[in-house]
Amino acid sequence: MITLSHYLILSAILFCIGLYGVYRRKNLLLLLFSTEILLNAANVGFAAISKFYGDLTGQMFAFFIVAVAASEVAVGLGLMIVWYKRRGTLDIDTLQSMHG
Amino acid sequence: MEHMETYLYIALFAPLVGSLFASLFADKPKMLVTGIGTSTLLFVSWVSSVVLLMHVYHGDVVHVKMMDWIHAGGLYIPFGFVVDQVSATMMFVVTTVSTVVHVYSIGYMDHDRSFNRFFAWLSAFVFSMMVLVMSDNFAGLFIGWEGVGLCSWALIGFWYERESASWAANEAFIMNRIADLGMLIGIFLVYWNFGSLQYDVVFAQVDGMDATILMMTTAFLFIGAMGKSAQFPLHTWLADAMEGPTPVSALIHAATMVTAGVYLVIRANPLYSLVPEVSYFVACLGAFVAIFAASMALVNRDLKRIIAYSTLSQLGYMFVAAGLGAYWVALFHLMTHAFFKALLFLGAGNVMHAMDDELDIFKMGGLSKKMKWTMIMMTLASLALAGIYPFAGFFSKDKILEVAFAGDHYILWAILWFTAGLTAFYSFRLVMLVFFGEERYKIFGFHPHEAYRYMLFAMSPLAILAVIAGFFEHDFIHLVSYALPIEEYEVSHTVFWILVVITQGIALGGIALAVYKYSHGGFSKKWEETFIYKLLFNQYYIPKIYDEYICKPYAEISTIMWKDFDLKIVDATVDFIATSIYKSGMASRVVQSGNLSNMLRWMGVGLLILLVAAILYSPVR
Amino acid sequence: MDHILSVLVFFPAVAGLLGFVVSKESIRAYGISVAAIEFFLSLWLWFSFDGSYPGMQFVEVLPLIPSFGISYYLGVDGISLFIVILSTFITLIGLIALSIEKDVKNMIVSLLFLEMTMVGVFVSLDAILFYVFWELSLVPMLYIIGAWGGELRVYAAIKFFLYTFAGSLIMLVGMLVMAYLYYQATGVWSFSITEWHRLILPMNYQIWLFIAFFIGLAIKVPMFPFHTWLPYAHGQAPTIGSVILAAVLLKMGTYGLVRLPLPMFPDASVYMIYPVAVLSLIMIIYTAMVAYAQKDMKQVIAYSSVSHMGVIVLGTFAMNPEGITGSVFFMLSHGIVSGALFMLVGVIYDRRHTKLMSEFGGLAKAMPRYATIMGIMVMASVGLPLTMSFVGEFLSLAGFYQISHTMTILAGSSIILGAVYMLSLYKKSFFGDVVHEKNKKLKDLDGKESMALWTLVLVTVWLGVYPKPVLEPINTSVESLVSFMHKKAMTDEAKSVIRPTVIKREAE
Repeated sequence: MITLSHYLILSAILFCIGLYGVYRRKNLLLLLFSTEILLNAANVGFAAISKFYGDLTGQMFAFFIVAVAASEVAVGLGLMIVWYKRRGTLDIDTLQSMHG
Repeated sequence: MEHMETYLYIALFAPLVGSLFASLFADKPKMLVTGIGTSTLLFVSWVSSVVLLMHVYHGDVVHVKMMDWIHAGGLYIPFGFVVDQVSATMMFVVTTVSTVVHVYSIGYMDHDRSFNRFFAWLSAFVFSMMVLVMSDNFAGLFIGWEGVGLCSWALIGFWYERESASWAANEAFIMNRIADLGMLIGIFLVYWNFGSLQYDVVFAQVDGMDATILMMTTAFLFIGAMGKSAQFPLHTWLADAMEGPTPVSALIHAATMVTAGVYLVIRANPLYSLVPEVSYFVACLGAFVAIFAASMALVNRDLKRIIAYSTLSQLGYMFVAAGLGAYWVALFHLMTHAFFKALLFLGAGNVMHAMDDELDIFKMGGLSKKMKWTMIMMTLASLALAGIYPFAGFFSKDKILEVAFAGDHYILWAILWFTAGLTAFYSFRLVMLVFFGEERYKIFGFHPHEAYRYMLFAMSPLAILAVIAGFFEHDFIHLVSYALPIEEYEVSHTVFWILVVITQGIALGGIALAVYKYSHGGFSKKWEETFIYKLLFNQYYIPKIYDEYICKPYAEISTIMWKDFDLKIVDATVDFIATSIYKSGMASRVVQSGNLSNMLRWMGVGLLILLVAAILYSPVR
Repeated sequence: MDHILSVLVFFPAVAGLLGFVVSKESIRAYGISVAAIEFFLSLWLWFSFDGSYPGMQFVEVLPLIPSFGISYYLGVDGISLFIVILSTFITLIGLIALSIEKDVKNMIVSLLFLEMTMVGVFVSLDAILFYVFWELSLVPMLYIIGAWGGELRVYAAIKFFLYTFAGSLIMLVGMLVMAYLYYQATGVWSFSITEWHRLILPMNYQIWLFIAFFIGLAIKVPMFPFHTWLPYAHGQAPTIGSVILAAVLLKMGTYGLVRLPLPMFPDASVYMIYPVAVLSLIMIIYTAMVAYAQKDMKQVIAYSSVSHMGVIVLGTFAMNPEGITGSVFFMLSHGIVSGALFMLVGVIYDRRHTKLMSEFGGLAKAMPRYATIMGIMVMASVGLPLTMSFVGEFLSLAGFYQISHTMTILAGSSIILGAVYMLSLYKKSFFGDVVHEKNKKLKDLDGKESMALWTLVLVTVWLGVYPKPVLEPINTSVESLVSFMHKKAMTDEAKSVIRPTVIKREAE
């Protein structure tokens, strides 16, 4: 029997994977992928809890996030292509122009 | 009655008008009209005062309320003026001496650059003094009190180019201010306990007033009197005040302002007579100052300082009388003293003029040949000061001794008696050294000359009064009996005569000693090596002590307060708070490096903190 | 003229804005005429003011944010009336004597703007409005110090701004809490100060709110130990800045004390008398000593003004009509006298570009008219009778004497210490011989300086001799304030300390 906990654990694992990716990766593209994983971890959690409570709001939010993520990817990839064309790299440490 | 008010206003405001008139030309070169104008107005004031004196002689009192001054809460102070027997006497003394001094000053200040300014201040002083003596309440008295302080400051520092003059002016003002604080506190006490500052209202309520309150009130008021009348320990300013022009010394620092303290005690006699402790203290302090100042006068070489110390000593006599409850005797001595002391100072002014402002009496001598009239007048004044019959000083001073003896205060009497001898000695030491003996001035190349005729003429009323004033004793008693308690002193006829004889004896003895010694070359030089001579000559080292232990530490502490406390602690704390905020910003700005990975890490940390906080503080457990 | 107060508040600002289009040559005349009109308007306010009525007059109310009870609420009583006149008067005098050449247009516009905020603070009866004007007044002052000041001007300006700003934020918190408490008690939001006066609060609330308000006001006064911004501000500010700062801006603090914490928290005020009095005493004696140690003329006057403000605070906390009337009157006299003294220092600074006393000496000979006015003002500052200061100082101290004898004696030392530093200043700079060659040819006062300064002298003497026209309206309002506080006080201690009429009036 697969219970709510299983879904939540899956969501937590996905979130950790995404978080790890966000921390370790220096490439902007892979960073974007990791963010997608983070978003989808949240999606799994939303959908599962929505089912558990019988409240559709959660699933609605999940769709919202999917839509937002799609547009984000579109904008983000576009920006990255421009960036790559200019700088020839997507290493995030080279993005810095402030000095603190 | 109506026209008496007019006289009152004329007496009061004529000096002010004169002062304002002269002040219009204050920075102009000498204009004789300022001197003559102010003197004329002073004379007008004198005439009005005499008219008022005649008027109150039979017991009438003129009391006017000119206008409101301060009115807040329950405190109501009008500008009210009263001419009763006490203030009429004071007005007479003040206007007489100041008219003489004004006329005299026209000659004395003849060559001074700031002739006009001098008369502006001198008349302003007379106005303040008139306010002081004529006011019908303590606040008005205080106006005059501070006003004379201001004018005294300006006149002591009249020759402000001289460091010593401006220093002495400030010293006088500040020392008087110390006493004024006491006076102010006394006024507050009067207000909060009597509900008014009007003399008549206050004095009507003194019976049944709490003894401690009365004691505090009188004590604080007396502190005020101590400053103005230069009583120990606030006496040092008077001798230094001799930096001012000599007419100023005559008017302010001998005849009028310094007696304001005595006037205050006389005026507040209903209070003082109920507090024997304070009154007795007043008497004791007076006796102490009398002998203390006389002792300093014995050895001083400065013409004016000797007279200043003698003033101090005579003020002590007045306080003894006032403290022993013989207020009318104090007032009587105040009056006679004003005449002969002003005369003495004006004479000293003539000498100074003759000697190009030289003050050391050991550089003079034998001046009687050149300055016969000055010599005569100063000798008369000295005789009066020494209390020799039939001069004015005899009557008043002898009365004080009698009062002390009759009140069984034998120690006070003995001190005063001995001081009478000292007084006679130093007065004639001065006369001898200045006018007689060897003509030492020739060695120093002076060319003395007698003063202008009209200066001598101006002095003559004082000379006459110094001789005859004592004979008006009975009229005086009649006059002041309306305002002051007149007590008969229980001394038997024999005792009275014995007292007179031994007092005359010591006074004549002092004179004889001075005349003998200084006509035979004075004291030997060895005397100047002794400890006592040095102690007296350095004024008991009191000015030095004040300088070392009050002035200098005050300046040092002030600097420490500023540089070490204000800047390094108070301000530094404020700056520390500001800089620590600034520095924490500087330290944490590296966070905002714009490095994406760093920012992500911070985001993670923030997330973690929020999660932990959410778990710890979640309302549902 | 129903809206006289609104006109008084906004006329200078509007005229100031119009001033931008006035040509540079005529801007001085323009500024002076605007200030003169404003001054005459305030005089008109005085003449149409009913001195026997203690409450607020010329009231204007216009709701701004009704849901929070914030309104445009103006009014004057005897306490604020004369401070308003003082503000317009000092601005006018300051403009007449203005000696700045650089960017004179900006200076005049900022002065007029400053005038709006000053008048605004004194006539606002809504806490938010009060607060807005209070904070706005910092802006032109910041600019004046920062743009025309001396070497350390930026440091001084920022210190002035941040310090007072931090204090007033604490006051703002107090105001918000007060409004919330009012809401809790009545169910209605209100920021009206007169409404707040009627709210009776429990003791612990009173004390905390008192402290919040007090800190904000104390920094402005400035009370020890919050005073250190003042010497820098004065030291660096141009003459006109110092004049207005000392004459009017500091009065906001003491005026605020009378208007806000005293009637709002009578019990707490009584409870705090001794701590406040001790601070005032330190302020009086300590700053008087520091003033004596100064080498710069302007710093002496700056510290002296702190010392005198101590007497004002002390008088305010006397809690009786004598003391509070005295302290309000002392605010006026301090405004006139310290304003004049700063102006006088400005005169010599314009000529020699130094304010160090050691540079001078013998000025009485070189500049007799200048020395005369300085002498009068020094004596006024020392508190000589028949000058304005005496009336205020006398009443303040007399009032506080009822609270504590010893403290009054200590506070009274200000008349001694004041004489010490003021006379030593006068002696060092004016007496003695002219030592420096440059001082020999100094020009005496010119026309505009004489005019401005003699006016101040006249006012000082006039109100010293005949303070009645000013003192009476103040006293009427103060007496009603004190009896209101007496009625409102809850604790017996407060009731016994706040004594509306201790001594029955004998005359009239």
